[in-house]
Amino acid sequence: MKEAILPQELQTIYLTILIVLLPFAAFILNFLFLNKSKASGWVSTIAILISSIFSIFVFTAIWNGPVIHVQTIWFTIGDSQVHAGLLLNNLSVLMLALVPLVALPVHIYSTAYMKDDAGYGRYFRYLSFFCFSMLALVVVDNLVLFYAFWELVGFASYLLIGFWFDRPAAVQANKKAFIMNRIGDIGLLTAIIIIYTLFGTFDLEKLFGAEGFVTRYSYIENGTWSFYLNHVLHVPVSRGWTVMAPHTVTQIPAIWQYVAFGGIFLGVAAKSAQFPLHTWLPDAMEGPTSVSALIHAATMVAAGVFLLGRVYPMFNTTELNILAAVGCFTAFMAATIALTQTDLKRILAYSTISQLGYMVMAMGIGAYASSLFHLVTHAFFKCLLFLCAGIVIHQIKHVKEDNHLDIDPQDLANMGGLRKKLPVTFVATLIAGLALIGLPLTSGYLSKEGILVQAFEWAELKGGAFMLIPVFASITSWLTAFYVARMILKVFYGDMNLSKLYPNITIHIGDGGWRYQLPLIMLALCSLFPLFSLNPLAHSGWLTGGLPQYGQYTAGLVELMVPVIINVGSIAMLYYAYMAYIKQRDKVAAQPSLLHRISFNEWYIDAFYQRVIVRAVMTFSKALYWFDLKVIDGLVNLFERIARCIAGAAAWFDKYIVDGLLHLAAALVAYIGGIARRFQNGKVQYYLFSMLLAVIVVFILKILIWNS
Amino acid sequence: MSVVQLAFYFMALVTLGSALTVAISKNLVRSIFMFFITLFGLAGLYVLALADFVAVTQIVIYVGGILVLILFAFMLSGKEALEAAQKQSSRFVSLKNLPSLLLALFFLVVMINVIFKADVANLQWLKEANGTQNVIGVNESMINNIGVNLMTRYLLPFEAISVLLMLALVGAAHLSRKEDMRG
Amino acid sequence: MITLTDFMVVSAVLFCTGLFIIVSKKNAIQILIGIELMLNAAILNLVAFGKYDRVNNSGQIFALFAIILAAATTAVALAIILNVYKQYKTINPDQIKDLKD
Repeated sequence: MKEAILPQELQTIYLTILIVLLPFAAFILNFLFLNKSKASGWVSTIAILISSIFSIFVFTAIWNGPVIHVQTIWFTIGDSQVHAGLLLNNLSVLMLALVPLVALPVHIYSTAYMKDDAGYGRYFRYLSFFCFSMLALVVVDNLVLFYAFWELVGFASYLLIGFWFDRPAAVQANKKAFIMNRIGDIGLLTAIIIIYTLFGTFDLEKLFGAEGFVTRYSYIENGTWSFYLNHVLHVPVSRGWTVMAPHTVTQIPAIWQYVAFGGIFLGVAAKSAQFPLHTWLPDAMEGPTSVSALIHAATMVAAGVFLLGRVYPMFNTTELNILAAVGCFTAFMAATIALTQTDLKRILAYSTISQLGYMVMAMGIGAYASSLFHLVTHAFFKCLLFLCAGIVIHQIKHVKEDNHLDIDPQDLANMGGLRKKLPVTFVATLIAGLALIGLPLTSGYLSKEGILVQAFEWAELKGGAFMLIPVFASITSWLTAFYVARMILKVFYGDMNLSKLYPNITIHIGDGGWRYQLPLIMLALCSLFPLFSLNPLAHSGWLTGGLPQYGQYTAGLVELMVPVIINVGSIAMLYYAYMAYIKQRDKVAAQPSLLHRISFNEWYIDAFYQRVIVRAVMTFSKALYWFDLKVIDGLVNLFERIARCIAGAAAWFDKYIVDGLLHLAAALVAYIGGIARRFQNGKVQYYLFSMLLAVIVVFILKILIWNS
Repeated sequence: MSVVQLAFYFMALVTLGSALTVAISKNLVRSIFMFFITLFGLAGLYVLALADFVAVTQIVIYVGGILVLILFAFMLSGKEALEAAQKQSSRFVSLKNLPSLLLALFFLVVMINVIFKADVANLQWLKEANGTQNVIGVNESMINNIGVNLMTRYLLPFEAISVLLMLALVGAAHLSRKEDMRG
Repeated sequence: MITLTDFMVVSAVLFCTGLFIIVSKKNAIQILIGIELMLNAAILNLVAFGKYDRVNNSGQIFALFAIILAAATTAVALAIILNVYKQYKTINPDQIKDLKD
């Protein structure tokens, strides 16, 4: 029943494979041949450039067009076949286009940003490796491969966070990121195993497609989670059909459905830095800023949201509510923390967490399309913000090195008044910042207002305590406006604080060459509205049209009122911040109050983990170590001692009894030999003496004894 | 106790005393001269045994020949030998000499024992010699008789001894020649 | 009256003294003296028994032969001692253990 694959589809498939494999080829090339060469940067950049061009082709071919799903048998265990293949639908190609488009500016930027670093070649090796893993992650069609690449992006992230492995902080940070991601990975693996147990396949399309098992043929009833298929099912596999045997019934207790959700949630929380597992992301800023821009702002951290998008049909209402609550809480918490941080990159890190919280919340309230839309827009403007921060930090570092100052180049206190020195950076930051706040004319407005509007509509339908979610989301939005304003004002406005602190330093800073400016301009253009919607005041874009909608909404007054209220509030916050920081009229936010302390110390979550979990784990480890040392090793040592005693006895027996006999025989022979030898000592008188002695003995015997 | 017996005991005392001194003395020169006295004492004993010609020969050959030879050898063997000889332990009964002493005493005991057991005074041929007057008298001179006997009865041993003596002299001269004269 | 036993006792003592010297002394010349003492002990016996042979004088004549032989052996022995001294720079028989190579 399988139809041949059409030629244009074949071309798309080959292009996709090329897109994925080009960064890998760059990685291999760099790894094998260009270890120290500066050419490695350009090899990686050209690879990602070609990938991005092809990805646009693939995107236009697939978007709102036919789904391509090809696969081949990967391996067979017993009766179950595991397939490996490509799944290109709207979600896949959206990510497939997004990743190289964000990665390209980052690559160009990196060739300049990392040019003086000793690990230049290593950096691009890792970066290409990451791009390969991320691209493969979005196009694979089954959970096993998905999990494999999920691990690989985590590993690449681990390598890049610890890129400067001679800094203890970087080592700590990448360890932390790795351990937290491990927790999430275990959750994801658990979920995959449970899903396979029930449905007997890893195939994403079979499981979560429009006619998928999870979507249509499984339900929870009377405490069991059942998979019931009573007719021949044709699952589309790229113009062909896979036939499932009819009358398949599998049941497992319903609790496993919740366990699977919990596992997936853990995976998402770890990868996308949601509330319980978010603390690794701020620490991950120890990596190079360009890496933070690509991995920890735009792409890898969005993988969690992407996973939610892939497995979305699995969740029931309760689970979605949990997602919404956690996402909202994360967004609000991270925004409050971002208010008071003094480290430029940490502000951006918490802002990323906050925006990821928005996306997860959007998933929870059913704003599937808006969530992914926000993912895309956020990738561009957050990447842009990080690159701008990178330039600022880089320039401050130059000042520091030129004048031999002992300052932290990432501290906001050392900046200020950079607007005139770094005009391009300033404009780019401004655009990105406004997009982050969600003001009209930017891409951020389109996606964020969409989420907020749907949140209000959703809460209105549910009523009661659910109203808290849109309210807190709105507050978060205003807080976002405030901290963005604070950051921009502190960095670019006012006077140069360094000049005030160290009056006699020379400051030679600038925007840098085209390799700095080109990525900024590219990303800044992508952060404006025309790319996504021709109507600057819509709260959706053409992207949302291509993605499924799961929520039910009642269009009404909310749709008009929410954006107005949010934006008025945001502008008020901007004004307040301007007054607070520029006019110095009000210093309420700078007071070391309780709220300030909670915010500054990041809600004490890290300290709590350190005190409770880490200490508990350490104590437990110590106990285990003690057990191992005293009991297990003790047993081993006891055996050793017993064996030694036996061996000692054997050795004693061998030495004194067996060898003793031999030695006794040898000693006897030696003794007799010694006696005999003494007669041969070469002394004439001794010979004579012996002879005479013999004679006298004969005489004595003969005469005195024998005869008498 | 006759004068002859007294003379015998005196001579025996001189001979044995000087011989023991030779044995005890650590000084080589002294022992050589004590040996000289021993030889004289022995010559006296020969006289008492009615062998005056042997006694004279003893003095001429031993004292005049052998002793002088020994002295020469001692002097030629140099100062070092002299010192080495004088460095020997001064005690007669040292632990080192004890085995030798015991051996000598054993020999003495055995020999005395044998001598007394042999009862030489009652030997058959001695009685016959007494019976046929074949005993040298005290006033007889045996020199004439010895000369006749040497040239008649003991001519062959006499000649053999002469040849041997010559061989010994040649050998001694050969041995003591200078090393570089061989070539 | 001097009996044969008297002579033999003196001879035995003299012989044992010579034997002691031979075994115990560390000087070749002294050992030679010891040998001479033993020879003389034997000669004394010959002479003592020679009294009972007035006709043939065998005892005395063999005593003479013995004296002459002793002189000859002494000459040879002293020549050997001198050569040994030249070779080893010592006449202690304990130290003369190596054959000439």
